[in-house]
Amino acid sequence: MSARTVELFVNGRRVQAPVEGAEFLAEFLRERLGLAGTKVGCGIGACGLCTVWMDGQVVSSCLVPAVVAAGRHVWTVEGLTDLAEGRVTDAPPGLPSPQLVQAVQRAFVQCEGLQCGICTPGQVWAVCALLSEEPRPSEERVREFLAGNLCRCTGYQGILRAVRQASEEWAPSEDP
Amino acid sequence: MRTVGRADGWAKVTGRAAYAGDVRLPGMLYAALVRSPHPHARLLRVVKDAAWSVPGVCAVLTGEDVPYGTYGRRVRDMPVLAREVVRFAGERVAAVAAHSLQAAREAARRVEVHYEPLPAVLDPEEALRPDAPRVHEAAWRYPGAVVGPDDPPNLQSRRVWQYGEDVDAVLSRCPYVFDETYTIPAAHQGYLEPHACVAWWKPDGSVEVWASNKSPHRLRAQLAACLGVPADRVRVMPVYVGGDFGGKGSPMDVPVCVALSQATGRPVKLVVDYEEDLTAANPRHSAVVRVRLGVDGEGRMQALDVRAVVDGGAYAAFKPVEHVNLNGFAEAGNTYRIRAVRIESLIAYTNTVPRGHMRSPGSLEANFAVESTVDVAARALRLDPLEFRLRNVLRTGDRGTLGEPWMEVRGEEVARAALAALREGEGAGEESTADGGRWARGVGFAFYCRAAHGGETEVELRPQPDGSVVVRVPFPDQGGGQHTVVRNVVQRELALPAEAVWVQQADTEELGTDSGVGGSRVSLTASAAAAQACAQLRERLRQEGLEGWELRAALAELARRRPGESVRAQVKVDEELWMNSFCVQAARVRVDRDTGEVRVDELVTALDVAGVLNPPSHRAQVEGGVVMGLGSALCEEVVMEDGRVVSGNLHEYRLPSVSTLPRLRVVLVPGGRGWGPYGVKPVGEMTNVAVAAAVANAVADAVGVRVRRLPISAEAVYRAMQEAGR
Amino acid sequence: MKTPEYVTPTTLREALELLSGAGGGEAVVWAGGTGLGPLLRRGLASPAVLLGLEKVGELGGVQPADGGLRLGATVRLRDLQRSPVVAARVPALADAAGRVGNVRVRSLATLGGHLCHADPAQDLPPVLVALGARVCLVSLRGTRVLPLEEFFVGPLQTVLSPEELLTEVWVPGESASRNTVYARFAPRSPEDYPTVGVAVSVRLDPDGVCQEARVAVGGAGPTVLRITAAEQALVGGVLAGQRIRDAAREVEAAVDPWDDSRGSAEYKRAMARVWTERVLQKLADEV
Ligand SMILES: Cc1cc2nc3c(=O)[nH]c(=O)nc-3n(C[C@H](O)[C@H](O)[C@H](O)COP(=O)(O)OP(=O)(O)OC[C@H]3O[C@@H](n4cnc5c(N)ncnc54)[C@H](O)[C@@H]3O)c2cc1C
Ligand code: FES
Ligand code: FES
Repeated sequence: MSARTVELFVNGRRVQAPVEGAEFLAEFLRERLGLAGTKVGCGIGACGLCTVWMDGQVVSSCLVPAVVAAGRHVWTVEGLTDLAEGRVTDAPPGLPSPQLVQAVQRAFVQCEGLQCGICTPGQVWAVCALLSEEPRPSEERVREFLAGNLCRCTGYQGILRAVRQASEEWAPSEDP
Repeated sequence: MRTVGRADGWAKVTGRAAYAGDVRLPGMLYAALVRSPHPHARLLRVVKDAAWSVPGVCAVLTGEDVPYGTYGRRVRDMPVLAREVVRFAGERVAAVAAHSLQAAREAARRVEVHYEPLPAVLDPEEALRPDAPRVHEAAWRYPGAVVGPDDPPNLQSRRVWQYGEDVDAVLSRCPYVFDETYTIPAAHQGYLEPHACVAWWKPDGSVEVWASNKSPHRLRAQLAACLGVPADRVRVMPVYVGGDFGGKGSPMDVPVCVALSQATGRPVKLVVDYEEDLTAANPRHSAVVRVRLGVDGEGRMQALDVRAVVDGGAYAAFKPVEHVNLNGFAEAGNTYRIRAVRIESLIAYTNTVPRGHMRSPGSLEANFAVESTVDVAARALRLDPLEFRLRNVLRTGDRGTLGEPWMEVRGEEVARAALAALREGEGAGEESTADGGRWARGVGFAFYCRAAHGGETEVELRPQPDGSVVVRVPFPDQGGGQHTVVRNVVQRELALPAEAVWVQQADTEELGTDSGVGGSRVSLTASAAAAQACAQLRERLRQEGLEGWELRAALAELARRRPGESVRAQVKVDEELWMNSFCVQAARVRVDRDTGEVRVDELVTALDVAGVLNPPSHRAQVEGGVVMGLGSALCEEVVMEDGRVVSGNLHEYRLPSVSTLPRLRVVLVPGGRGWGPYGVKPVGEMTNVAVAAAVANAVADAVGVRVRRLPISAEAVYRAMQEAGR
Repeated sequence: MKTPEYVTPTTLREALELLSGAGGGEAVVWAGGTGLGPLLRRGLASPAVLLGLEKVGELGGVQPADGGLRLGATVRLRDLQRSPVVAARVPALADAAGRVGNVRVRSLATLGGHLCHADPAQDLPPVLVALGARVCLVSLRGTRVLPLEEFFVGPLQTVLSPEELLTEVWVPGESASRNTVYARFAPRSPEDYPTVGVAVSVRLDPDGVCQEARVAVGGAGPTVLRITAAEQALVGGVLAGQRIRDAAREVEAAVDPWDDSRGSAEYKRAMARVWTERVLQKLADEV
């Protein structure tokens, strides 16, 4: 089997690793780089477990072949956590701000926005992306944006509460 | 309100929580499976050459290469890899291990298998006929089998529950008898983490396993039995479990992963595709349930006869309970006073995917059938469905339908609470009538009552030099919040802040017993064990003369004086507690008169509760259950054609998403009598059950038609309306 | 098993050369990859070369043109959804683009990929057919421009030859003089592909008399279907009552659906009628 070497930027670091066959970004991150925070569920773009940030937007890493990701800037939940915990010095523009990530992570923990946790890295990414695009989204917008991030455990109520709490903390409403 | 939140929360939001599929070991190989495309076939020949030609392949195994026995949770009828015959489409026929996942998958694709298709039996009713093709030559010979040589050849299990007078006699005296039949299809548990495991057969013959399995101790026993080694050779390591809902209690692919590891001497990781999980794991049993309900002239239920014919699929291996049946059927009609009850559940082997447990197994099947029939009866008798239910509801002091001496029954209170909540929501959120009469509106109720069961577990407390306590438990937190419950108990008992209590899952070697996370029993057993361990720890502090000390200082001192010392408490709770919980659900729906589309606008869940150890987690369990119930009610079905699952991805198998949720109103009705030091009642399997019946009843209320098969799809309602000429 | 090579030409010419070049037949176009990705993952396709279009400038962009629009093949559905020009000229298109799959899919999927994927249940084909869109197909041998309804051949099949690229989509200016409504009926969940999708574009005179109509239905046949019998039933009269019902009956008679998880053929046929009626009623109410 012919392998190729792929080079890309993951969580701000240049990485290089071989890829084989139809190897996708999700598996590349997990198995080649050991960044197992990105989960894999459906493998067809429908569940959101594999959500990562690539060149400025959230995508399903199960749909992106590793060779297609070459040269791009990818941020996973580990990078998001590095960001929140102050380990990233020169964050590229467009990434969610560390305070936002902190607010979102805290809100998920406090509001029962998670149970088994397998969907959580993807949910956290989706919510960070949404709130950095739109700090005070309407309930309808939240539902539209998160519709592709499935969660079997929570019935979504805790996630919606977490989004409201994070949004409120991150961009407090003007009116009392 | 700010709370500390879940004990496992931080690990999960940061991506640090490790699940079975996340484990990477040095030299680890990747596995892929070859599965049968036929529902029933003789295995003629497997040609491995092309698979071996893929660079990086280290093992290609077939059934003949695996030296282990069959396995199962109770009946051990499942082969690690098929031998001689395959019994369902999706059965494991060969397994490959290679240096990369891609190589393993490529090699698996190249394994050439020759089959001779055999006549298949795909319907349980047919399977029980004497002349049906046999799924197994001699099913009674499997260890743990509950059938005998004289039973119909494809019988997996038959169970009858009866109590009171003779049902047929009472039915024959009833002025009204309602005879109804309902169909419940197979469904996937919908956990989003597909089955995953890593196994390592060490050179000394011991085995280490990381698996998406909710009961590590049982997994160890099941594996040991299958591999033919003493249980203490098998060590199940702690990992998080990405959703369970009944589907993650079996060894599933662990034995084949172990076989690959034994064959290669390397650790092996096996993570199945979601497609494989949807088509070849252990979905909910499908069932056809016939209900005969006899009612007297005063609108009082007299007799109930329930007969379920259930499709068990090709293997019984995934049912853990003693009679290898679905105990939820025993709940049929248990919310009412009925003099004569008879329930029969027949489970048949067929050449379809083996069925397993899904959150409250059997309960949804029984509840949908009975609670729909109750509504049919009420409408036929021109009684208000809720009023009819309340006239018949079981009350404290009554014996249960199967003679249970319940300590209390709170159905009436709970139903009244549901009604009040439903009234409050009236009118709110409804669109104006400007929709041209497109929507017909209706409400429906359903009752559910579930018994609590005991179990056993163990908790260990380890004081730390910094004055904190590490709490070790033998069970994973598959999402139910058990670790948080334990933390809260320890916090309360020792008056410690949350950050001074660290809950960790131990591996099977470190802690002894546990009956696993299942049947919603963990919060009972674990809270009791944790409370007991705390009492023991206080006793230790007293013995050390530390009782006057500030607690954290005392703990720190103990840790310094006796490094590594810990206290352990084991708790065994009786299986029968004669405690139940009652749940009443009410759905407010809209039905599109032209398309049959059903929109649930509001779903009220009123629940009988006692002590609640962790209100946010409790609420989350309730909500998660309700939405799962909505999935069963409206959209989820494992669809099979010619014995093959065709709903093989998450486009075809639709899980509820955030965009279509109704308003969920949860009313907790406190004051119940719970069990144990904290007076708790289980909640995990309470709120997913009655949603389907409530929705079906609301649809009937809205458009006057009865849907007797789940899910209640737009097309199903449309057809029912067409047939009724509406 | 080959590991595909990902190549990203920067000009259309280069892209076309790669497509028809020495390694001809080896390269497969990769746009957003949301259609192709799942096939690759499951080993149902294993191309040696993935020809990425993202860097070909000529294929991008949304421009107003002759009162209508020129849409580049590599425009992402999410950009289509959020483009002010699209929203102003053909709001039905922006709206439909915003309903495809989920946000992650819309962020990657392109208009060209969407059309070339040619799943008959997709959302944009009915809308674009109703709008009267044309597609531009280019190879080294030349260019052809087709009405979109002639582009589709069957499920996952189009008239594209292997060395051809879909470069742009034209939405004619006259469509802006019509009202266009698209309804997608996805009763299992809004993220699902539609059971049926009905798009109708009409020009009504001030008295409500229908001057021109285009009717297209997705999910109810091997490709999107343009239903001229229904169009004829509409033109020349007021959009109301019996006329609406007649047109809807024509749709019901013309569609050719099959059974799948989104409904039986019979049900889809009936739903095509119901939703045509509803769309027409909505258009009538908008006057
Ligand atoms: C989770 C999920 C949900 C979805 N839900 C919906 C839905 O609700 N409604 C709906 O309509 N669709 C839905 N889709 C399908 C989606 O619209 C298509 O996958 C997408 O539009 C394809 O665009 P792409 O750019 O990703 O195409 P690609 O995958 O890149 O390409 C698709 C095909 O077209 C070819 N191709 C691409 N561009 C060109 C070109 N310019 N010239 C010639 N050939 C080309 C490719 O070679 C390939 O064969 C869904 C998809 C996913 C993954
Ligand atoms: S695994 Fe990628 S979206 Fe489901
Ligand atoms: S927390 Fe389990 S799937 Fe979302």
